[in-house]
Amino acid sequence: MEKRQSEKPRLLWLQSITCNGNSHSFLNHPDLFSILSHFELIYHPVLETKHTIEDLISGSLACDILILEGSFRERGFMKGGIEVASYIEQYAQKAKHIVTAGTCATFGGMFKQYDPKNISGFCFDGEEETKRYESYASKLISLPGCPIHPRWLSYVLLMLVKGKTIPIDKLHRPQELYNITVHTGCSRNEYFEWKIDTKGFGLKEGCLFYEQGCQGPYTGGSCNKILWNDISSKTIAGTPCFGCTEPAFPETALFSTKTHMGIPASMPLGVPRRAYLTVTGIAKTFRIKRFEERIIDYDR
Amino acid sequence: MIVKKLIEKIEGEAELDFSFSEGRIEDVRINFGFYRGIEEILVGKAPRDALVITPRVCGICNHAHLIAAVRAIENGYENAGTPIEISNKAKSIREFTLACELIQNHTKWFYMTILPQLEKLLGIQSGENHALKASYLSSTITKALAIFAGQWPHSSYAVPGGVACDPTYVDVMQAESLLDESIRFFEQMIAGLPLEEYLEIESASSLHRIGGDLGNVLHQMGVNGMSQMGYSHDRFIAFGECLFFKPGKSLATTVSNVDARYVEEARQEGSTAKAVSYKQRLYEVGPLARAMVGKEPIIKSLHKRYKDSLLTRVFARIHEIALLLAYNKKLLRNLTLDEPSCTIIGHDIKVPDATGTGVVEAARGSLIHRTTITEGVIEKYEIIVPTQWNLSHGNEEEKGVAVEAMVGSATTEEASFIFRTFDVCSVCTTQ
Repeated sequence: MEKRQSEKPRLLWLQSITCNGNSHSFLNHPDLFSILSHFELIYHPVLETKHTIEDLISGSLACDILILEGSFRERGFMKGGIEVASYIEQYAQKAKHIVTAGTCATFGGMFKQYDPKNISGFCFDGEEETKRYESYASKLISLPGCPIHPRWLSYVLLMLVKGKTIPIDKLHRPQELYNITVHTGCSRNEYFEWKIDTKGFGLKEGCLFYEQGCQGPYTGGSCNKILWNDISSKTIAGTPCFGCTEPAFPETALFSTKTHMGIPASMPLGVPRRAYLTVTGIAKTFRIKRFEERIIDYDR
Repeated sequence: MIVKKLIEKIEGEAELDFSFSEGRIEDVRINFGFYRGIEEILVGKAPRDALVITPRVCGICNHAHLIAAVRAIENGYENAGTPIEISNKAKSIREFTLACELIQNHTKWFYMTILPQLEKLLGIQSGENHALKASYLSSTITKALAIFAGQWPHSSYAVPGGVACDPTYVDVMQAESLLDESIRFFEQMIAGLPLEEYLEIESASSLHRIGGDLGNVLHQMGVNGMSQMGYSHDRFIAFGECLFFKPGKSLATTVSNVDARYVEEARQEGSTAKAVSYKQRLYEVGPLARAMVGKEPIIKSLHKRYKDSLLTRVFARIHEIALLLAYNKKLLRNLTLDEPSCTIIGHDIKVPDATGTGVVEAARGSLIHRTTITEGVIEKYEIIVPTQWNLSHGNEEEKGVAVEAMVGSATTEEASFIFRTFDVCSVCTTQ
């Protein structure tokens, strides 16, 4: 047995079928190396580590916290002649905590669509539990998002290292991150309140929920509370929320709102259709001049 | 004798089978991992879904995929006889964000691949945390990108007709400040001299003026003979018209026109990656290719002396950071906000049935997207990524670009380093 260098929790970052987007998103973290200083980094796909990928695929490394990136298939995805699924399971059994980083590792995500029968998340296949779920449920934290937000991951890692309990929902997502919607804190909220849609892309005025396909009001995530790259978010920058933290991501026709008789087909999270229609009906009876004007006139 | 080696800490991994003969590498077989089927995932989807799906090809060059995807759709509008105009404002913002991504990429490659691997190869123990520097500059410049694009990685803010954002000068000033911080980093850490002075260097005989980490790398490469190794076919090509890059091909001392229609893809036996050629010939793509086609003085001067050696190839990529920083400075200085961000207004947007091609220069070279839209949905989608050019196995007449560069090496360590100077992206190659 190799002698341990420190008593820090041993962190292992393992990739399955992935675009590397979660790895790169985490590298954006401004406090990256202070966060990592709490751990002994056993393996990481991009950062220098003591161990090589050959050590990794041998399944012999130690691991306290396992971060999984990428979607998962039982057979047919090999590295160095070894099924990735087989050594992931070895580490999953050893680990005290498993964090599925990103929608692929959590639910199957983008790459599930290529072969939906055989590709899934590690413990969830969309919303359904996989057969692995029972074995790992007690130590599983789900961090969906395509990609993950670097500060969501650092929050989880620091909570784990300090031995604090993370409140989670039934899909194992931390409530503190996912029990609010992407709509919370959106800079376009006034327009949503008064049911005023944007006239098109490229305008800071108007809400993207009615025509542009924005899924913010029914997508769990703190994108507009903990900003992306510490400065912005999709909806602030005029792009609809595509629901990338949700089990069904990606859905189709992402730039247009699905409607029933002119009303968005999906309601804001937990809001009964009747309540929504009532509020909308009232809001729409008023015409508020300020919301019809541009916020800034550069040509005046 | 065949030696197998798993190359890690590139974008994804690659397995190389080195064939040795009389103590020298005579051939290399490059194998990539799992095919993820993005092209197939796109079939049957709404045309604009490509703006969300294709960035997920790659975690490090996702933005280039977005720009190629939006250009393909816009080219489809043109081919359908309904061309769309894009405002200068939207054009500049797209260019700015694309350049930020390239800077991010080159910085990570320099500090997280080249520096640590060079130290390993030469047995240097600097004890430095190079990744800290990579993370500082890359997170600063992607923050500037995110001001316009909302986030990096995986933004979808470029839409047919322009961009989805509607920035104010508050945004522009913040972006400029982050850019200045990036320039300061380049001056103090990478080049050891002011950007303006750095850009005045046009001759290989003035390279000694460069200090900083780049000066150090140039010195190490120079004294270890790396200006005389890693030669390939010395043929270069670029297709993307963007930033300050021009399309063309460079052979010997001549630069001539190219047409993306003559790009051919071919399946390679036993590989999930398809090989690419232009009129049946193999070409190198990437920063060195762009500089050769664009006749960048310092690169031409280096090339005259050291041809397409390791030293020239590595320098070309880092040099591009300086060009991109200066270019972005100019873009922001000239950016005015009184034009529309997006010229397609309204809700009922129907992308016309047509085939469109979008070409862009990504960090690793020319990236081509081709979308065929029939009855309002994507019927076929093709993606040709830069790494397919550089890492093909080659054909009967000649070896692939990176393979040729590795042939003749005495050790797998040296050959692996040469391999990494192409800034390999296995993730893109197996999209």
